[in-house]
Amino acid sequence: MRPVGFSTGALALADFRSALRMLDGKPVDAVELSALRQAELLPLLSAVPSLPLQRFSHVSIHLPSQFDPGWEAGIERHLHPVLERGWPLVLHPDAISDFGLWRELGAAVCIENMDKRKPLGRSVRELAPIFDRLPEATFCFDIGHARQYDPTMNEAWLLLRAFGPRLAQLHVSEVNTRSRHDVLSFTSILAFQSVAEMVPEDVPLIVESPVGEAMIEREISRVREALPLGFKPLPPPPCNWHDRSALAV
Amino acid sequence: MPPDSLEDIESQLGADWPHLRAARQLSKDKLLQISEAVEHFDSEDTSIVVMGSLARAEFTDGSDIDWYLLIDGWADKAHRDVLRNVGEAIRPFSSKPVGREGTFGDMVFSHSLIHDIGGDVDTNLNTTRRLLLLLESRAVGRPDAWRRVVRGVLDRYIAEDRGLWRGSGPKLPHFLVNDLSRLWRTMAVDFAYKLNRRGGQGAALRNIKLRMSRKLIYISGLLACYDCHLGFTQAERSARYSSSSLKGVVVEFLEERFAKPPLDVVAGVLLRYPHLYNAARQLLESYDEFVGILADDEKRQHMERLAEDQMDTDPIFQRARQLSHAFRDALTEVFFDQQSGLGDLTKGGIF
Repeated sequence: MRPVGFSTGALALADFRSALRMLDGKPVDAVELSALRQAELLPLLSAVPSLPLQRFSHVSIHLPSQFDPGWEAGIERHLHPVLERGWPLVLHPDAISDFGLWRELGAAVCIENMDKRKPLGRSVRELAPIFDRLPEATFCFDIGHARQYDPTMNEAWLLLRAFGPRLAQLHVSEVNTRSRHDVLSFTSILAFQSVAEMVPEDVPLIVESPVGEAMIEREISRVREALPLGFKPLPPPPCNWHDRSALAV
Repeated sequence: MPPDSLEDIESQLGADWPHLRAARQLSKDKLLQISEAVEHFDSEDTSIVVMGSLARAEFTDGSDIDWYLLIDGWADKAHRDVLRNVGEAIRPFSSKPVGREGTFGDMVFSHSLIHDIGGDVDTNLNTTRRLLLLLESRAVGRPDAWRRVVRGVLDRYIAEDRGLWRGSGPKLPHFLVNDLSRLWRTMAVDFAYKLNRRGGQGAALRNIKLRMSRKLIYISGLLACYDCHLGFTQAERSARYSSSSLKGVVVEFLEERFAKPPLDVVAGVLLRYPHLYNAARQLLESYDEFVGILADDEKRQHMERLAEDQMDTDPIFQRARQLSHAFRDALTEVFFDQQSGLGDLTKGGIF
């Protein structure tokens, strides 16, 4: 079974304690603690030692989607307590002003691919320079964003091919035309199934579908249907796919 | 990257194609000006798409600007306002209004382009819009919707091409090749249709464009498809086409091909075959002179006004016709060449 869990933001926005309570007794073994606004981060970090997280085999923190530059400068000091725990720190590439600060955090930084509204971080072409500047960073593959950016799922395939070795976790939800997270539909399940075999079975799935407590188990069931087991690693390419220089007659 | 552009082959052959260079520069300048003029009218769900000579980087002062608003998102009544504003912003850059057939200057929706390939729903208009989107289109401003739709269309052609993934023959995307051939024949038949409906008005210029620029986009599409096979060694092909789960690689490859101007697609293939350099020179020299005629206001207007019954004796039209013959003869040599493998693909792919 793939590890599955929820984003606290999807369940209860900034109220992570309520979200964790909603997960009590549910078949989840992963969780992402969400602080999408800068003002939400410090209260979350200071609460971490008192949160009931023992049951989760995977915990990550979703960092704010925007930082004031002055605040970003002190980020390592703020994050120090959770860095020791080795949790992935999910970060939007467009939230970065000073790459040097984030490079210092090494593999703790987990870069997420973006939805189609964003000017960068949506495709392999746009993410490659980000990872060049953060060589140790891991990858949070938001499969809903990838599908919204390219409904054929070819970009999803390319992202997994390019950054699969960095994969730390998935974000799973439908992302609609208004760029809102939604529950999985039949079409998104079909789309996700088309790349499911590229996702290793031990990579945690963090559900971002906004659901009430009563719908948590049903959504997990849909997520498992969308991303069934059966990982098949891609063979390495036999050559540069585009190198035609040796073909002249 | 190996050399693969028009400029590369011009340099390789020691040739001089001033009209093509001038048209490229003018296209670049015009695209920049239009991008500035239509700024803020596009979005992540809408792209302003230009086609024709401007997209092919063959724009001349007498060229019109064919464009449409491509919508890949929710229906919004404000799109009508966007359309009107874009039309007004583009009008000063065009020598005449968009064409009469309704192909351009309108809203175009992604769903019919992606879903309606073949069958009764695939009208002449839809086929033309879909394939011109691949062969000669550029987004001015935000390209998001344009890119998604190009990819959506290519994905259908590639993912549903059974022969590509299961067949033992050449790795040619036949579904797409067949549709390109359909477009070429549609354009040829529509020439006769317009001759009938317009009583010969503008026939000379349309005739030469059919023989040159329309044919160019067809053959550039074919060569992009041929490259799916010829661009790789046997071992590479075995890996690339081993499973349809690898379709993303082929789609990405064709996206890159179709993102180039058609002359660059042709140049990229011809540069690989030195024994075809004479044919390449003849092909591109004739095309350069053809663009030179279009760039000459006097000659262009003369051709536009030329009566159908004077075409056989008119020296300007006859010169253009000679160019089209040189162009055709060079293409015949290229497309039936055995040494490169192009000939086998033409026999297997077209017949």
